[in-house]
Amino acid sequence: MAIVYFDEPKSKVDQNRPANALLLAQVQHLREAEKSLPPKYHSGIFSHAIQTEGEVARYVQSVTEAIHQAHADAAAERVRRALKPKEVIEIAAVADEAAERKQRARRKSSAAKKKGSRKK
Amino acid sequence: MPPGLDKLQHIVVLMMENRSFDHMLGSLEGIGGIDDAGAYRNPDVNNNKVVPQALADFQGQLNPDPDHHFPAVDLQIYGGATGEGRTETMDGFVASYYHQQENAQQAQKILYYFPKEKLPVLTTLATDFAVFNRWFASIPGPTICNRAFAHYGTSFGRVDMNPFDVIEPIKSIYTRLVTANPKHKAKVYYYDTSSSSMEVPNLLQNQPDQFGTYDQFLSDCDKNMLPDYSFVEPNYSDHDTDDGEEVANDQHPDHDVLAGEKLIAEVYTHIKGNPQTWSSTALLVVYDEHGGIFDHVPPPKCPNPDSFKSSQIDPGTGQAFQFDRLGVRVPAILVSPWVQKGTVVSRTFDHASIPATVTKFFLGSYPHVSQREQDADVFIEPNDGSGNMANNLLSLNVMRNDCPDFKVRS
Repeated sequence: MAIVYFDEPKSKVDQNRPANALLLAQVQHLREAEKSLPPKYHSGIFSHAIQTEGEVARYVQSVTEAIHQAHADAAAERVRRALKPKEVIEIAAVADEAAERKQRARRKSSAAKKKGSRKK
Repeated sequence: MPPGLDKLQHIVVLMMENRSFDHMLGSLEGIGGIDDAGAYRNPDVNNNKVVPQALADFQGQLNPDPDHHFPAVDLQIYGGATGEGRTETMDGFVASYYHQQENAQQAQKILYYFPKEKLPVLTTLATDFAVFNRWFASIPGPTICNRAFAHYGTSFGRVDMNPFDVIEPIKSIYTRLVTANPKHKAKVYYYDTSSSSMEVPNLLQNQPDQFGTYDQFLSDCDKNMLPDYSFVEPNYSDHDTDDGEEVANDQHPDHDVLAGEKLIAEVYTHIKGNPQTWSSTALLVVYDEHGGIFDHVPPPKCPNPDSFKSSQIDPGTGQAFQFDRLGVRVPAILVSPWVQKGTVVSRTFDHASIPATVTKFFLGSYPHVSQREQDADVFIEPNDGSGNMANNLLSLNVMRNDCPDFKVRS
């Protein structure tokens, strides 16, 4: 089995390098995405002023994590609602509604019977 | 059924940034690269002929970033010719780069390519597995619309970097898989949250179900827990992390090409590191578009244009784009221990081949795909008996045990 050797990259990190067109497009896409998030998840970063790779990365991280958090919060809320125990007063209200529905149905059917007998 | 196809459970795509086939692999002999540099001339501003030279460097050479938006690529392919009946001369690269800064010396560098010794990882994979010498970008334009073809099989009419709307009934390859059968898993692995994904429409809708980080990808390889389909994105920027600083490894000019070599080696090494993962995974390493850098092969026409068309304004050439031809040729390599060493694939592919292959392999026939995806060739044949076994690249009856390993030079 052959072992192929390669060199470690020698480049130094340069967070001040001007952001390329791709990174600026990513900022634009995430800016649009951010608009659809509730305000409490907004980054507070003025994305139109972003110029360098380091600035892009900070904004991208902020919005990506906000999207993640918004989905996580929505999922947690869904679970919370599903597991929420019904309170006595709600159960009573539901029972009242059911009884009312039954009464309405009975009234309707007896009215219909009367109508039918008059036709005869 | 060939055992390689029977065993195959995971398809992984690693999509790098902005390098042409000739630039990265052109020095490999006999595969359709730059075998005769003198044959491929581009005129400079003084009408002197410039020829490709093996002088490409890892960083600092392609600054400013070569233009690869639609009008610039049009110039690169057609040499400035307009109108009906023009031909793809591939001689407008120097002129295009010259327009950016009016420096004749700098403009010549757009024809530079790497000697194979400088890219040991990529060139070893190309010669040890299957290299595609007619894999083209889907659009003669920039990144976002080309990457859209890899996810959706269309860019929904976009030819630029602007946000696009996903138009039903077409779905991303990830949503197709998981909605067809909850047992299917598909993920985009972005490098980290500071680099994140270029697939923002999906990120917004489906984070975190259809997304993971690069560290999770490596861990999933190690534990043989890869989803059916994985799309790996490189690091697009130099940035801070919890452990220090990271250098961009996407190979987008003017990022360090060696950092990308290291990334490719790492992805390969982790897949190969677990015997179960290695025997059941096919890895495609591919570049999204040519980044404005020279390639000599004229992009082909598409027999049936996409049903989506661009507006007349968006391409910037005064004419709507019909999606009836491909972009410039890019490097693409298929890696698997079931692939015959030294395979050269000369059929035509583009990024629509990615969802086409993944869909046909995991789901079989699927109705809601773009015209371009419907026409795209597949790089892995379906294993349900409907494939063309003459085209099957995972063709070996016995798994190879001579595949290379990569190590950092000390």
